[in-house]
Amino acid sequence: MTRLEATRVVVSAAGEAPIVASLGHPAYDLFAAGDRPQNFYTWGSMGMASSIGLGLALAKPEARVYVVDGDGALLMNLGSLATIGLLRPPNLVLVVMDNGAYATTGGQSSPTALGADLEAAARAMRVEAATVRTEDDLRARLIGERREPLVVVAKVSESAPTARPPLDCVFIKQRFMAAIGNPEAAAHVAGRA
Amino acid sequence: MRERPAWATGVCAGLYAAGCRDAVYVPDNQLSHVLAEIGERYRDVRLALATREEEAVGIAAGLYLGGRRPAVLLQSSGLGNALNAVTSLVVPYQIPMLIVVSMRGDVGEWNAAQVPMGRAVRPILDAIGIAHATIESPADAERIVALTAATAFGTRMAAACLVPRRITSAPAP
Repeated sequence: MTRLEATRVVVSAAGEAPIVASLGHPAYDLFAAGDRPQNFYTWGSMGMASSIGLGLALAKPEARVYVVDGDGALLMNLGSLATIGLLRPPNLVLVVMDNGAYATTGGQSSPTALGADLEAAARAMRVEAATVRTEDDLRARLIGERREPLVVVAKVSESAPTARPPLDCVFIKQRFMAAIGNPEAAAHVAGRA
Repeated sequence: MRERPAWATGVCAGLYAAGCRDAVYVPDNQLSHVLAEIGERYRDVRLALATREEEAVGIAAGLYLGGRRPAVLLQSSGLGNALNAVTSLVVPYQIPMLIVVSMRGDVGEWNAAQVPMGRAVRPILDAIGIAHATIESPADAERIVALTAATAFGTRMAAACLVPRRITSAPAP
């Protein structure tokens, strides 16, 4: 499966739920798979997608929160797995698109290409985890009720995205917040009261 | 129960008055007073431990997107760890948060390894456009923290409140 195919499975499973995407190719593929206001595209802060998703999951326990991360990005913030294992929001689903490469920066091999195992890393931090290689297996992992956070490592091939999400960061944020029920303008006015 | 330093109770009262009900932190010796005070007297403030300051900023950003008013508690050395998330997430997306910085490397420091970053905190915050205020006396702490938070959430930009070592390391009266 390509990363774009895997991302389409995530978008389909998410329904109206928020999806946070790591910068570069994961975000580009999320845009290509289906631009929607509930998509939070990062344009920087490599490694932070899982942390943003964690904070969002804590803030909105009633919503399932999906994160589309990359193997290189998660390796840049591996402590995030320990914190997810500590705080354990049951509504957080972290999908790691593992292509074994830093594809956005030119395809340099990542440690997972030589066997570094992110599923094992998640388990070692007390987070339920699975590795999938097909769209059907990915879909099966994403549906159903959950009582624990979940990490799904999706082994993917590169999909060479050409489309790009909106570049205006504030637009992305305000559209996202309004779509998930926290319109920023209202919060701003309330804050002045 | 040991009496907590006035600056620490003031910091907690200030962040609570500003509406912060989430505090993401990386431990620091001086901040332990703040953490203990929150744990005992502000039970509706959720404390979240992060492994690294950049992660704390990312979690706080997600909390804000989810409708909360987050505070981040860190030591000045950790501001360096947090900079990429601050400059490439918090600033361009205009994500507000209160950042309470327990200062090291300023007057009263004993550890040379803390000095370079401590000296750089204000120039760095100025360079990246993060407003900051310094608590000048324990009695000022509540007001300065609340004002800093109001600036952050009002202007939708992170703002930092610096707690100098001359405040945090002073012996209890």
